[in-house]
Amino acid sequence: MKRYYCLLLSVLLFSSCAKDSDSVYEPLPNLQERLMAGGETTVFLTSSNAFSTPAANLSGGKLDFHLDGDFQFETVFVTAPAPVNGGVGPIFNNSSCVSCHPKDGRSAFPTDINSLSGFFLRTSMPGVGNYNAPISVPGFGDQIQNQAIFGFEPEAKFKVDYTPIVETLADGTQVTLQKPNYSLIDTYIPFPQSAQLSPRLASPVFGLGLLEAIPEYYILNNEDINDADGDGISGKANYVYDNVSGEVRLGRFGWKANTASVMEQCAGAYVGDMGVTNPIFPFETGYGQTNGDDGLNDDAEISQALLDEITFYCQTLGVPAPRDLDDDSVIRGSALFEQMECAKCHIPKMISGSFSVAEVANQTFYPYSDMLLHDMGDGLADNRSDFLADGKEWRTKPLWGIGLTKVVNGHTDFLHDGRAKNVTEAILWHGGEAEASKNKFKNLSASEREDLLKFINSL
Amino acid sequence: MKKSLLIIALATIIPFGFNSCSDNDPPQETQENNNELYEQVLTDLSLKVITETYNQLYTNSLALEQAANAMTVGDEAALENAKNKWQDTRAPWEESEGFLYGPVDTEGIDPAIDSWPVDVNAINNVLNSGNPITQSLLESNNEARGFHTLEYFFWGLDGDKTAADLTAREIEYIKAAASDLRSKTEQLYFGWLPSQGNFAANFINAGESGSVYTSKINALSEIAEGIEIIADEVANGKIEEPLNGNNGGPRPEAEESRFSNNSKLDFANNIRSIEHIYLGDFNGVQGSGLTNIVSIQNAALDTEIKMSITEAIVAIEAIPGTFTQAIFDNRAEVEFAQSKVLALLNKLQSQLLPLISNLN
Repeated sequence: MKRYYCLLLSVLLFSSCAKDSDSVYEPLPNLQERLMAGGETTVFLTSSNAFSTPAANLSGGKLDFHLDGDFQFETVFVTAPAPVNGGVGPIFNNSSCVSCHPKDGRSAFPTDINSLSGFFLRTSMPGVGNYNAPISVPGFGDQIQNQAIFGFEPEAKFKVDYTPIVETLADGTQVTLQKPNYSLIDTYIPFPQSAQLSPRLASPVFGLGLLEAIPEYYILNNEDINDADGDGISGKANYVYDNVSGEVRLGRFGWKANTASVMEQCAGAYVGDMGVTNPIFPFETGYGQTNGDDGLNDDAEISQALLDEITFYCQTLGVPAPRDLDDDSVIRGSALFEQMECAKCHIPKMISGSFSVAEVANQTFYPYSDMLLHDMGDGLADNRSDFLADGKEWRTKPLWGIGLTKVVNGHTDFLHDGRAKNVTEAILWHGGEAEASKNKFKNLSASEREDLLKFINSL
Repeated sequence: MKKSLLIIALATIIPFGFNSCSDNDPPQETQENNNELYEQVLTDLSLKVITETYNQLYTNSLALEQAANAMTVGDEAALENAKNKWQDTRAPWEESEGFLYGPVDTEGIDPAIDSWPVDVNAINNVLNSGNPITQSLLESNNEARGFHTLEYFFWGLDGDKTAADLTAREIEYIKAAASDLRSKTEQLYFGWLPSQGNFAANFINAGESGSVYTSKINALSEIAEGIEIIADEVANGKIEEPLNGNNGGPRPEAEESRFSNNSKLDFANNIRSIEHIYLGDFNGVQGSGLTNIVSIQNAALDTEIKMSITEAIVAIEAIPGTFTQAIFDNRAEVEFAQSKVLALLNKLQSQLLPLISNLN
C-alpha cells in the first residue's frame, strides 16, 4: 500500500523554563524530565486524537506497516462467508478492535450492559488448572460472549445491580461509590452455580510496546512478595502460559497481568472478543458448544501477516506527553503523590532494553506502573484467580494519558470495570496494600486534593 | 467508516503551549483580541457549521424515513424517491466527516450509521426468519443497519434493483432501517444542540471549567486535526484502497458507496466538510472559520489552502463516469484527483496544524 505523508522537521526544540520559585523550599521532583512520557515515541496532542497517533520516531516502511495495522484495527468483521472481512462470531462481544478501544482509548461502561460495548465478563471454575491457569467453565469457556450472529444464541446476557458505599473524607465531603454485582441471565444452557465471574472494560492500547520491552529483571527488582521491607506493599510478578511461545513467561498485559505478549493479547481478543480465529487460536471460541460452530472450514479467519500488523500497531502507538508540568499546583500534587506512597506501585519511571521493535527499545519512559500484582482489598476483589494472581490481586494500572481520557473518550469511567466515575472515586476504591495511601488521601485538605488530582490529570 | 489516521506533523513538534515560557506571551491587549477571535471562530464553527450540518442530516433523514414508509412492492416512483432521499441524507453525513469527534464517536453513532462492509449474510438471515423486523432487532448488528444497508436494498449488489425485485420482507427491513437511521441522526443532532446535550459548549467555553478542552488553542487544534484526518482518509483510504489495493491494481470491493455509485460525491462532500470548517460557511450562512485566524498569521498559506480545497473538489468531480469504472478505465484522472487531495493534506498537515498549535 502506498502511503504518502509529509514529515516536518522532527527536531525537538524546547528549553526547560522551570521557574525559580521563592515560595517552595523543599526539593520537588523535576517534572520536566518526565515530559517525554513515552521516550522517543512521545507525541504532543491534547485533542481526541491524543492516543491514536503513531510513535513520533516511526518513519518510512515502519510507519507504513503501522498504518496497515491502523487499517486492521478499524476493520469491522461480518458473518462469514463474505467477500471482505468475514469471520465474526458465531458468538462474540464486539465486531472490531476499535469498537472496544474507541480512538485507541478506554471504553465507557455501557448504558445498556447488553448493547455492543467494550465490557464483558470473564469466568472460570474454582481452583487452578495447568500452569495455574483458570479452569474453563464447561459450555462457556473463560469468557462470556453476550452477542451472536443471527440464528445463534449468545452464551448469556449480563445483569448488574449496585450497592452504594458512602466514603466520608476528613473535611466532611461525602462520596458515594456504587459497587456493582454482576450475574448472568438467559444463559443458553444452565450456568454452574459455583462458577466465578470477573468484569472487564477495555483499556487504551498506546505504549504497549514500551511495556513489553521493559527488561524482566527491572520489573522483578521491585518484587517484594513477603513484604520484607515491612512497608505494607508487596508486589508480585505473574507468570503465565504464553500461547505464542508455548512457555511460561512473565505476565505483563491485562488487568491481572495474565498475558505475556502484545501478540497474544491481540490474538486472544480476535478469538475471544470477536470470534475471529487466527494462527495462535485456530478454534472458534465456542468450539464444541451447540452455539459455537459456524459449520465453515475457514479457520484461521485472519492470517499471521495481519496479526503481525495489528501487533506492531499496538506496540508503536505514541504515548501522549504530560501537560502543565510547570504549574505550581501540579508540582505540589506530584510531591503529594510521592509522600502518600502512591508512587510505590505507580512507579513513575521505567526503562526498556533491547527489543525486536527498535523504536521502543532502550527508552526511558514514565508509565506510572510497576507492572506487578498487588492485593487491592475486598472492595475490588473479583475472587477469581488468574495464574498467580489471586482473587484480590490486580496489576498496577499505568496512569500515563489518564488526564486525556475525557477529551479522547468523553467519560472518566476508571478501574477494571469502570465502576469509578472519576479519579477521586478510583482512589477511594483502593484498598488492601493501598489502604494506607487511600486513607492519606481521605485526610487531605480540599486544596491538597485538588493539587493531587491536577497532577494525575496532567499525565 | 473511519480509516487511517496520520498526524505526523503534530506528533513530532512540541507546541509552545507545552512549555509556556512567559517570554513568548504577547502583550495583554493582543492576547485579549486573540481570545475574542478564537472564541468567535469556535462559537461559529460549533453552532453554525457543525450543529447545523447535523440538523440538516437529521432533517433529511426524516424525509428518508417518510420515503421508506411510502414504499410498496413494484412502486418504482417510490423507490426512486427513496433513493433520492438517501442521497440527500448521505450528503450532510459526508459533509460531517471533517469533525468526527464528540457524540458521533463517544456515543457510538458513527458505527451505527456508517458501518462498512454490509453483513449480507446477517441481512438474509433476518429476512428469512419469522421475526418481526424492528429497530431494536437492528441495534444488535451495526453491519446490518445504517446507510450502507439501505444502499444495498435500494440499489442491490449490482446497482440495478427495481421496486418489482423488492419483497414485502425487504420493505419491512427498509422501514425499520430508515427509522433507526433517523433516530441515530436525531441523537447526534441533539448531542450538539445547546438546548439538549450541548457538546457545542465544549468549544464555545474552551479553556473554562466544564469544557473537555483545557484551552481555546486545544479546541482549535481538535478542529484543525479533524479536517486533516478526513483529507488523509480520502486520499490514502477511500481513493487509494479501491485504486491500488490489489497490489497496485484496482480493488473494486474496497469502494465504500459502490452500490449507489455515490463515491465521487462522497469524496467531494468530504472535502466540502473541510471547506465549511475552514471558511466557517454552511448552507448560505457565513460565519468565522479557521481562515479568519490563518489569514492574519500567514496570508499566503490562507490563499493556498482555499485554492487547494477548490482544486481537490474540481478534480474529484472531473473523474469521468462512475468511480467503479474509473479505477479501471480512467486511472490517470483518479490519480490526479488523489494528488490534489494529497496536496491539500500536505498544506493542512505541515502548515495548518503547527500554525494552530503554536498560536498564542
